[in-house]
Amino acid sequence: MSEGYEILTLDEVETAEHRGSNLIPVRYTLNFRPAGVNAWIADTGGQLIPPHEEDSGNEELYVVVRGRASFVVDDETKDAPAGTLIFVEPGHNRTATAEEDGTIVFVVGATVGEAFDGGGWDTFAVAYTLQRAGDMDGCRAVMDKAMAAQPDSWALPYNLGCLEALAGNTDEAITALGRALELNDEDIHHYLREDTELDNIRDDPRFQELCKGATGTGSGLSRDGAA
Amino acid sequence: MTVSFTYLDELDAIALPDGFVWRPIRRHFGIKAFGVNAYTSRAGDMIVEEHTEGQLGHEEIYLVLRGRVKFTIDGNDHELGQGQLVFVRDPSLKRAGVALTDDAAVLAIGGKPGEAFEISAWETWFAAAPLAEAKRWDEVIALYNEALGEKPDHPVLLYNLACMEALAGRPDDALTHLERAIELQPEFAETAAKDTDFDSIRDDPRFAG
Repeated sequence: MSEGYEILTLDEVETAEHRGSNLIPVRYTLNFRPAGVNAWIADTGGQLIPPHEEDSGNEELYVVVRGRASFVVDDETKDAPAGTLIFVEPGHNRTATAEEDGTIVFVVGATVGEAFDGGGWDTFAVAYTLQRAGDMDGCRAVMDKAMAAQPDSWALPYNLGCLEALAGNTDEAITALGRALELNDEDIHHYLREDTELDNIRDDPRFQELCKGATGTGSGLSRDGAA
Repeated sequence: MTVSFTYLDELDAIALPDGFVWRPIRRHFGIKAFGVNAYTSRAGDMIVEEHTEGQLGHEEIYLVLRGRVKFTIDGNDHELGQGQLVFVRDPSLKRAGVALTDDAAVLAIGGKPGEAFEISAWETWFAAAPLAEAKRWDEVIALYNEALGEKPDHPVLLYNLACMEALAGRPDDALTHLERAIELQPEFAETAAKDTDFDSIRDDPRFAG
C-alpha cells in the first residue's frame, strides 16, 4: 500500500461515545477533507444517530450500510433496511435506532456553497472518549494534532481546557483556556461562566482572573466551533 | 421536499458503455453540498471505472455497500466486502474496481479539499451517455442545456455539447458552442482537431478557423 490511499473496515475502527451513540470516526481517522464523513454503529434497540437538527446548516445523506434502522425525521418514522438512503436538509429533527445487531449507518454532510472546514465535534468525541477512559496522553495527542491543523480555532483549546479540568489537571486547564481566550475573548465569556465541565477549577483564583479577561457578554457561536 | 428517502435499487440505473451501472444519488436528491453516487455491477464487470482524479483534484472514498469488489489502486489489488472502504487521498493515483459478486454496490464520495463543492461535468456526460448511444439527440442536448443553465460558461460542458451537436448533425450549434469552449479553454482547439466526434464538421471552413 502506498501513502496515497488507505483501506478502512468500519467495524474495526475504535468507536467514540457521542451523546449516547457510538461514533465510528471516519473523517477523523482518515483526515478526509472535502466533506464530513462518519458512521454510527449500534445493536438492536440502541441509539444510532443522536437526535439533532443540524443547525450548522449541513445537508446530510444517511446510508444504511448493514443491518436495519428505524429513522425518525420530524414526525415521520421510516423502516430503513440496508441500502436505504435518506437525504435531510438542515433544520429537521432526525434520529435513528438500530433494529438489528451490528447496524451501521454511514453519513455524509457539508454546507452548500462552503468549503468544508475539517470538522470539530467528531474530534471532540474521540478526545472526550479517551479522557473518560483515563487516557489523558491519548486525549492530548488528539487535541494537539487538531490544534496544529487549525491554529486559529478557539474551540479546540477551550475544549482541551474542559478535558483537563474534568481530569482534575488544573494547571493544564488554565493554560489551555488562556490560549482559547487569546484567540477569542468575546464568545468564550458565556462558556467560562456556564460550563459545568469547568466546575473543578472554578474556585481557582487563576480561573477567576481568566473570567475577568473575557470581555464578551454572550455567544452566537457553538462551542463545537464548526460541526 | 427537504427530507427524502429512497433505496439503492430504486435509484435510476444508467448503464454505461464500460459495463457498470451508475446510480446517481446526488442528482436524485438534488444534493448541492457534496458529490455522492453509487455504482452497481455484475460479477466480473467493472464497477469503478479506471481513472485518476488528477484533473479535478478530488479526494475520494469508495465504500462497499453490498457484495464483494476487487479494487486496484496504484497497481495494488485489494478485495473488499460490505462495510469496507478505500480512501484515495492522492488524486493522481490510478484506481479501478471490478465486481466479484452479482449484488456488488459501491458508494463513492468525493470533492476537492478547501473548496466548496461544484457539480462535476462528468455527471452530465454519464447521464447523457445511454441517450447518445441511442441517438436520442434532443434528450442529450436538453440534459446539457439544463447543466449549462446552472453554469453557462463551463468549458467542458460546452465542449461536450458541441460534440453531441456535431454527432446529431447540427453543425451551426456545434460550431457556436465549440468556439465558446475554446474561448474559455484554448487547449480545446487541439483536442477538437483530433476528436472524431467532429468528423461531420471537419470540412466546414468555420471549423478550421
